[in-house]
Amino acid sequence: MLLENPNSSLMETPSLEEDAVHTSPSDSGESAPIIDIEGVDFHYGKSKALSDITLAIPEKQVTAFIGPSGCGKSTLLRCLNRMNDLIEGAQISKGVIRILGTDIYDPTVDPIELRKHVGMVFQKSNPFPKTIYDNVAYGLRVGGLTDKHGLDEIVERSLRSAALWDETKDRLKDNAMGLSGGQQQRLCIARAIAVQPKIILMDEPCSALDPIATMRIEKLISELKSDYTIVIVTHNMQQASRVSDRTALFYLGELVEEGTTEQIFQNPDKKETEDYISGRFG
Amino acid sequence: MNAPEPNPFTKKRDRIQILGLNRESMLKYFFGGNASLAIVVLSLICIFLAKEALQFFPSHHRGLQLYRLSGQEFVDYLEDESRQHKKAAGYLARAYYGEINASSKREQGLLVAYEELSERLERETSKEALLFNTTFENLLDLQFEIEDSESEEDGAESFDIEAAKAEVTALTTRLEERRRTLRERKTDALKDPGMRELDSPISLSETEFQNIAEAIITTDPDAEDDAPHIQELNRTIDDKKAAAEAEYQDLFTQLEAFRAAGRPLDELIGPLRDHARTTKERAVAAETLRKGKEALLAGAENARDPERRAEFLADAEAIELEEVPYDELNQIFYDNIDAHHAVTSQMMRDLEQLGSQVVASGQTTIAQTNLSRFREELPELLTMLGETNDKLKAWRHDTPFPFLPSVLAFFTGKDWVTNSSWHDFYGFLPLFTGSILISLIALIVTVPFSVGAAIYVNQIAGWREQNLIKPVVEFIQAIPSIVLGFFGIAVLGTTLREVSQLEWLAWVPGFPMQERLNVLNAGLLLAFMAIPTVFTLAEDALNNVPRSFTEGSLALGATKVQTILRIVVPGALSGIIAAILLGFGRIIGETMVVLLVAGGSISLPDFSEGIGVITQPVHTMTGIIAQETGEVDQGSIHYRALFLLGMVLFSISLLINYSAQKIVFKYQLAR
Repeated sequence: MLLENPNSSLMETPSLEEDAVHTSPSDSGESAPIIDIEGVDFHYGKSKALSDITLAIPEKQVTAFIGPSGCGKSTLLRCLNRMNDLIEGAQISKGVIRILGTDIYDPTVDPIELRKHVGMVFQKSNPFPKTIYDNVAYGLRVGGLTDKHGLDEIVERSLRSAALWDETKDRLKDNAMGLSGGQQQRLCIARAIAVQPKIILMDEPCSALDPIATMRIEKLISELKSDYTIVIVTHNMQQASRVSDRTALFYLGELVEEGTTEQIFQNPDKKETEDYISGRFG
Repeated sequence: MNAPEPNPFTKKRDRIQILGLNRESMLKYFFGGNASLAIVVLSLICIFLAKEALQFFPSHHRGLQLYRLSGQEFVDYLEDESRQHKKAAGYLARAYYGEINASSKREQGLLVAYEELSERLERETSKEALLFNTTFENLLDLQFEIEDSESEEDGAESFDIEAAKAEVTALTTRLEERRRTLRERKTDALKDPGMRELDSPISLSETEFQNIAEAIITTDPDAEDDAPHIQELNRTIDDKKAAAEAEYQDLFTQLEAFRAAGRPLDELIGPLRDHARTTKERAVAAETLRKGKEALLAGAENARDPERRAEFLADAEAIELEEVPYDELNQIFYDNIDAHHAVTSQMMRDLEQLGSQVVASGQTTIAQTNLSRFREELPELLTMLGETNDKLKAWRHDTPFPFLPSVLAFFTGKDWVTNSSWHDFYGFLPLFTGSILISLIALIVTVPFSVGAAIYVNQIAGWREQNLIKPVVEFIQAIPSIVLGFFGIAVLGTTLREVSQLEWLAWVPGFPMQERLNVLNAGLLLAFMAIPTVFTLAEDALNNVPRSFTEGSLALGATKVQTILRIVVPGALSGIIAAILLGFGRIIGETMVVLLVAGGSISLPDFSEGIGVITQPVHTMTGIIAQETGEVDQGSIHYRALFLLGMVLFSISLLINYSAQKIVFKYQLAR
């Protein structure tokens, strides 16, 4: 998949690509982790937001981050594509995050290139005030793809993957702001997968949507996991149990417990986990 | 009977009530009153402005009517011919003198160099020269005294001639000594290589420089004549000029003949012009009397006291209205049409013949350009001479001047002439053009600077830079415009002109510029004034682009610059355009700077140089109002013309603000 990426020729960090080949999962058994978080501490200025997080996220599975507000789950998610770089004074003070075996905070890593491999969908849908087509094509165009035919093809494929093609194929030149909330969020997903990332980060993608739109997104997530590794932050425990293969619970900047969703929800190791799951706090 | 039990939701009565209003409604009416006051004041201003301004058109129409009735229009047709003739003659004269001066260009350049160099040396050696001069004057005084006492027979006892003579010898020696020092000092100063960098139009050869230096050194402050070398130079110039004059004898004769050909026309115009002016004065006087009488009659109508009424009526009776006999007065013009025809026909024959004699091309570039201009002007002059007579024949002093063209005459008029003894013209074009030209320059400079700075501050700069740049840019707004005007006159004007004289910039249209105060100078200063406005508003617009757009773009692997260019700037575009429009509004309404720096020339700038027009002086709508309002009589046509300018300005500003609001509104809907 990476090799097909139209942007890979622009990579400034060949190590990332090489490692991708070497560490690609073997056909058999448990897949190797695609994201490897090791003892990470994170600070916003002087206040500590994450402490000593160690977590491995396997490829082509859905991993859910759950926990009460302010527990650091979104912060950790935004560390994975270095979106936290935009916040002045925010930094990882300890530990390493490896994606495809490469330390993504290494000075040789270009965050622009990293983000082409690690896409993101935000809490509030944020289509650009452009046409639907231009929204999906945006990531490809900034990556340097100008071929009209190629663009058409990828836009269609991405919209199909995001289950939005049938609704929008006749109005590709309409402004994306005219779509409904759920459609906008699916458009954002289509936009993210158009650049063919390895990983898609989703930051509470359904928190602003009604149950029906939520259901469609959840269905989409389970369809997408055959091609992409998905990390989803959610407040909604039912959602975590419905869509995710693995779940990690955070509390006050620490990782309380992580494991398969089945195990976390039915047979948690820790008392706090059980309390949270059953709604006794949080 | 018991009072009905009040329900719990009954309205409580306010204890404080004035005129039946409780506190809440009083506050409500107070705020409402403030809001309506603004609207009332604005409408009052609009009504006042419109009332004064629109009265301009009837007055202007009457003025033009009078212009025709008094025959001034007729005379101006003739004047146009004469002006065109003088213009052509001017080009010919410039061509001739260009040739004459070119013959001794080198020598004149040497003289310029000599004068510049001696001036510099005088500054260098001022101390030595002062010592020399003091000694020299002492010596003269002493010699004078000696002569004095010698002429008086017995001589004053107290004056010791012998001692004085000895003193003279001593002074003479000292003088010679000081002369030597001075010359040595000059020689030393001349060794400085900087002395060879002169502003003279020619570059000097080594010998030429040595000759000039020699002449300067040997010319002492007590010298009565120029150094022989300089005298020789002057002689050469005279000789060469004389030779050139001989050589261009033909051109000179042609020039003289060309000028002479126009003389009969001028002689014809002279008395006609005086006649028209007298008629106009009579008409104006009659008009004033008529107005006075009307005012008295109106006064009589309104007077309650019968005695006063009788008084007014008697006064009104005493005024004898003079009916100006226009038909009779204008007869002179009709009588002269044939004379004019004779004059211009002769003139056309003469000029055509002369035109074919004039040499095709000159030796120097000055002569060449002026000759070609002459050749362009001549056919125009001939056509004009041919056509004017028909125009005169068709002219009737009693044809009423149509109203609509009199309105158009304001908007398309190319002359703004006031307080003239002939006729006042109110043409709006030169002022409008000036305002627009200056605004365009200002906008062209403002937009990239302010929008660029806004993008940098909002998107790229860290908070430290933001905290430095934003207050600094906004501080520019605190500079009073009069101070900026000073700066424009004293610093920017001079600097611009010096820069424009650099040789390698000569390709820039309009360079080197003739005037220090011009469109470019004013435009740059106004740009400086508009930058904070546009910067602040554009920065706000950029700030209003949701952060989620930026994040979304970055998350897709776009670079910072791609995000700015493809997402942030398009998202803020309508806000930025509104900011630019508001900046434009500020520019076109600005007065002080343009009054000081635009150059103040009330004529349509010459567009023949293309973009070079920006180096010409202009006047603006705002500037002329500020300059002339103080000196006009209230209610006069001039006063109303200024009001009309004010109204046009007001409409332009209104339009700009309205469009800016529209654009911003549209932008808000899109979000």
